[in-house]
Amino acid sequence: MSALTANTRRAVEVRRYPVLVYALVPLVALVLQAWLPRVLGNYAWFDLPLVVTVYFALGRRNPIEGTLMGGALGIFEDALTQHAIGINGIAKTVVGFLAASVGVRIDVENHTIRLMLTFLLSLLSSAVYVFIFRILLGLALEWSWIGELSKALGNAVIALLVFPLLDRFKTTD
Amino acid sequence: METFFARYRNLVVLLAMLVAQIIGLAMQVHRTEGGRMSVDRRDGSGVRLIRLWANGLVSPPERLIHSTSLGVASLWQNYLDLRHVRQQNQDLEKTVDRLRLEQAALLEDARQGQRLQGLVNFQQKYIYKTMPAQVIGSSGSMQSRVFYLDKGSDEGLRRDMAVITPDGIVGKVREVFAHSAQVLLINDQTSGAGVILETTRTRGILRGNAAGQPQVVGIMADNRIKPGERVLTAGGDEVFPRGLPVGVVEKVVQDPERDSFIQAIVKPAAHLDRLDEVLVIISTEPRFPPDQQQDMATSETLKGAEAEAENAQKKASEIMAERLPGLIDPNLPANQQPLNDSTPPIPVAHTPQPLHPDRFTPGATQDHPTEPQTGQAGDAGQGVPAAAKPGTEAPQRRQP
Repeated sequence: MSALTANTRRAVEVRRYPVLVYALVPLVALVLQAWLPRVLGNYAWFDLPLVVTVYFALGRRNPIEGTLMGGALGIFEDALTQHAIGINGIAKTVVGFLAASVGVRIDVENHTIRLMLTFLLSLLSSAVYVFIFRILLGLALEWSWIGELSKALGNAVIALLVFPLLDRFKTTD
Repeated sequence: METFFARYRNLVVLLAMLVAQIIGLAMQVHRTEGGRMSVDRRDGSGVRLIRLWANGLVSPPERLIHSTSLGVASLWQNYLDLRHVRQQNQDLEKTVDRLRLEQAALLEDARQGQRLQGLVNFQQKYIYKTMPAQVIGSSGSMQSRVFYLDKGSDEGLRRDMAVITPDGIVGKVREVFAHSAQVLLINDQTSGAGVILETTRTRGILRGNAAGQPQVVGIMADNRIKPGERVLTAGGDEVFPRGLPVGVVEKVVQDPERDSFIQAIVKPAAHLDRLDEVLVIISTEPRFPPDQQQDMATSETLKGAEAEAENAQKKASEIMAERLPGLIDPNLPANQQPLNDSTPPIPVAHTPQPLHPDRFTPGATQDHPTEPQTGQAGDAGQGVPAAAKPGTEAPQRRQP
């Protein structure tokens, strides 16, 4: 349990961003996630709200903030679908919490670690999503490993490109 | 206690979030009569509020992106056209350049207008009243095949209205907001539409699979169902009118869950992944085009003229019947008219003539007990007994 809690290095390495960034980046992620599949069709192998959740959770190193942001983004994602609200919410809540907890203990500036973390957390999110959908709710859902792996890979690549871009907005104390 | 919450506040918040969302999920899911779990078809007020917020948050930027992208595309195309014209200006005369520019612009307009023209033509000819709408966004999830329209309840859209294109059906309106609406595509796993195979007349239910392909499920194995068969709407689902094209059967596969059933994978007639403009059927009251209305009016007029001619003929026959001498005696009361006499007619008295008269024949004498009369049949009157002759006395009869 102690591995999931964080309190050691966050006081010195916590990142801060302007309030506008906290508001606009998740909104842009949601809008693009809703709009881009129209352009890309079946090749929309990414989950931008998840990438944003991971970024802020890693950067802020605060599990509560990561949990709340992941939950909120997941719920909004659910609200745009016809499915029950809370499926993505739970998945991203878990992802936000874990990302923030892990962020305290490892060097998140390293690109390889960022890529691997985003990839693994994407897979975890998909697994939680499928678990809730099929096991917890007992609903019918067909899915494929290849699709989920492709999505995780897409998220990792996007994280590699977007994280340095978002780093430019951080403020120094 | 305070120390406990302070120490484990991260986990407490996490657990609180998870429990709250699990409770929320439990309130949205129910068990169907068949024992399966299903998400409530109609959202509760709380869920609807969240969806409303999400839609209100995402729809305006999406609308902005949509219109901006159109503008940027137009600007980019204009820029390319201008560059093209400049290059041509170096080699061609001004008149030719102007004409080519006009031609390019016309072609561009025609290309842009062709799709809309097809849509409008279909809308005018289609028997039901439809409303055109533009697709402005999607759900963003591969598991949720829904998209958003730029029309909503203020424009007259309602839940469960059918969404189509001139090529075929697209989906149905699932959720309606003030200025936007959510449409569930036919290739979503939760969608359902009653369909019929055109040749075999087999009915089934259309829904999507994991790969985003619509498939007809719930049909018994039938060798007659082959790829290429057209699939139409059956009209029994109270969403899609009957007879709309759905697509063609691409391949037939065995139902993995039931042995005696098959699934027909359908290639949709509408381009579900490239939708820009769609039509929403807002009224299922039949609406006939002007030429059909004229035909119907002509038919009604002809029908009236025919009836009028029939009446005139009837009247003329009545007049003729009055004028002709007949069974109506003007001097007798109505109940004694011969026409109304229902008594049976009196039969005419007629004595049958024997072919071989003998002594037992009525009217025969004893002097000629066995003389056949046929030998004297040259006179028919001789063969007739005296009693049968009017004005003669009755002869003596021999009792047998």
